[in-house]
Amino acid sequence: MKPQRTPWISYAVILLGSVLMVFPFLDMVFSSFKSASEYASLRYSLLPQTFVFDNYKLAFEQLKLAMLFKNSLLRSVSITLLVLLTSSLAGYVLAKLKFPGKQLIFRFILATMMFPAFLFFIPNYYITVHFPLAGGNDLFGAGGSGGLAASQLGLIVPFAVSGFGIFLMRQFIMGIEDAYIEAARIDGARELRIFAQLVLPMTAPVLATLAIFEFINSWNEFIWALLMNSVNTDLATLPVGIQMLKSHLDPTLTQPLVMAGLVIATVPVLLAFILLQKHYVRGMMNSGLK
Amino acid sequence: MRIRKETALAYTFLSPVLLFYAIFLVIPVLFSLFISFTDWGGFDLESMEWVGLKNYRKILSPESNFLHPVLTNTFLYAFGTVAISFCSALAVSFFISRLRFQGLWRTLYFLPSVTTIVAIGNVWLYMYNPTNGLINGIITGLGFRSVNFLDDPHHALLSVIVAGGWLGIGSSVLILSAGLKAIPDNYYEAASLEGAGAMRQYISITLPLLRPTILFVLITSFIGGLQSFTLTLVMTKNGGPGDSTNVGALEMYNQAFSFGNWGIASAMAFVLFVAILIITLVQLFIFRRGGVESY
Repeated sequence: MKPQRTPWISYAVILLGSVLMVFPFLDMVFSSFKSASEYASLRYSLLPQTFVFDNYKLAFEQLKLAMLFKNSLLRSVSITLLVLLTSSLAGYVLAKLKFPGKQLIFRFILATMMFPAFLFFIPNYYITVHFPLAGGNDLFGAGGSGGLAASQLGLIVPFAVSGFGIFLMRQFIMGIEDAYIEAARIDGARELRIFAQLVLPMTAPVLATLAIFEFINSWNEFIWALLMNSVNTDLATLPVGIQMLKSHLDPTLTQPLVMAGLVIATVPVLLAFILLQKHYVRGMMNSGLK
Repeated sequence: MRIRKETALAYTFLSPVLLFYAIFLVIPVLFSLFISFTDWGGFDLESMEWVGLKNYRKILSPESNFLHPVLTNTFLYAFGTVAISFCSALAVSFFISRLRFQGLWRTLYFLPSVTTIVAIGNVWLYMYNPTNGLINGIITGLGFRSVNFLDDPHHALLSVIVAGGWLGIGSSVLILSAGLKAIPDNYYEAASLEGAGAMRQYISITLPLLRPTILFVLITSFIGGLQSFTLTLVMTKNGGPGDSTNVGALEMYNQAFSFGNWGIASAMAFVLFVAILIITLVQLFIFRRGGVESY
């Protein structure tokens, strides 16, 4: 629909809605600059009376920010790379190769997406902590100090494969002409080379979408990280570290501190998202319904 | 010979994925089903005690809090959040489609979806704060008495639902926008030539053609709502006050990781899973009849 006149009513509605969407973020940012005493006062105000940076100073002192950042970053980067690798490999196989059991495996991968996350917290917690030959465990998963959760592997490995990622890659690779692949085969290219040098570069746009999606999701993931933190406090990620800070101390005193922590944890990702949104939003809109 | 090489290659490429699903999906589901028939605190496997259907009988008995209020709340939460996010998203996606800078607007509405729930939950907690929060600031400014949103069992669930609905608007806008874009412009042009107004065009062209997308959004967000518990965990910790905001997955989580009742918790997980599965299948059936073949 190409509107001829300026649609003032549409602008008004969308602007008002945008304010409702963005306002909580502004509230978060501004209250992170409020002093504890101003915060404890009885009246609400959006803007702080005076901007103080104490909360950020305190956040750096009281939160092990370096560790939290390291864990969050290591986790998100590793999961993203692993998911890109496993999704593109499996997606390529399911889209372009012929072999017995293909339909069955594809149906299975579709079915994995129907299992809700909450079903896996209990068994996967046990499996991760008692993973054989990890973190000092013996072959039967006993005797060690936390299995996979003895290191950051506990935050990463259970997220290394994504059914959605495989599905997304398969759909995209199905659209690549078979002729390219056949020509490369006739030229004598090895299969791994066909995948790495021919197919993979063509999937760059959808890889970008999947990478942004996985990075953001693993950066924000909370429940599993909380469980891993309960096994090994060295595994706290940013959301976990900030939430734990909140539950330990007096809530009215720590609220501005928590807000400062949340600004540190969210604003970089939000800015990155806004910069990259073209790749993400377009990719999601093209792949959401197929 | 050629075919066997391709098969070997395919399974080599697939092996990491298949191994992963064996360890972190197939074994866990079976393991979890087994746990649900035992009494177990999650420590060593020898301490597992087979109790048959006891856990299921316990959580499905009328005295248990699981059917009511917990599962009732789960449905109310899913229903409420979908109602808020869907209605808002339907309006927002329509109005955005008439504007310039569509990408910018969609991004703004999508920001909550790329923010950690810890931030969302804490910011809404602050806005709901009875003494210095924004919402009570407005209410008292208008001359009303302040409302204790999250400490009052009558308001707590609705308060969490509003936050959850707000959170869900962005992703629904994205999917609905994709659906709107797929409607060819010339339908509208033809309708305009016939003298149909904007309202008439929306009802006679947009809504019918958008129906598969609408069903998709409704169903996926309803299923998502039934599974969701992180926001409730961050905003109320244990589903309080009382059980007024408690939902199925949160009760399961707390039974396992706060109280060490892994058997009960696993039984809850399966009851909830089966309920969601049945709803999904019923909705898939509606889907097919509603004209979405490829889902």
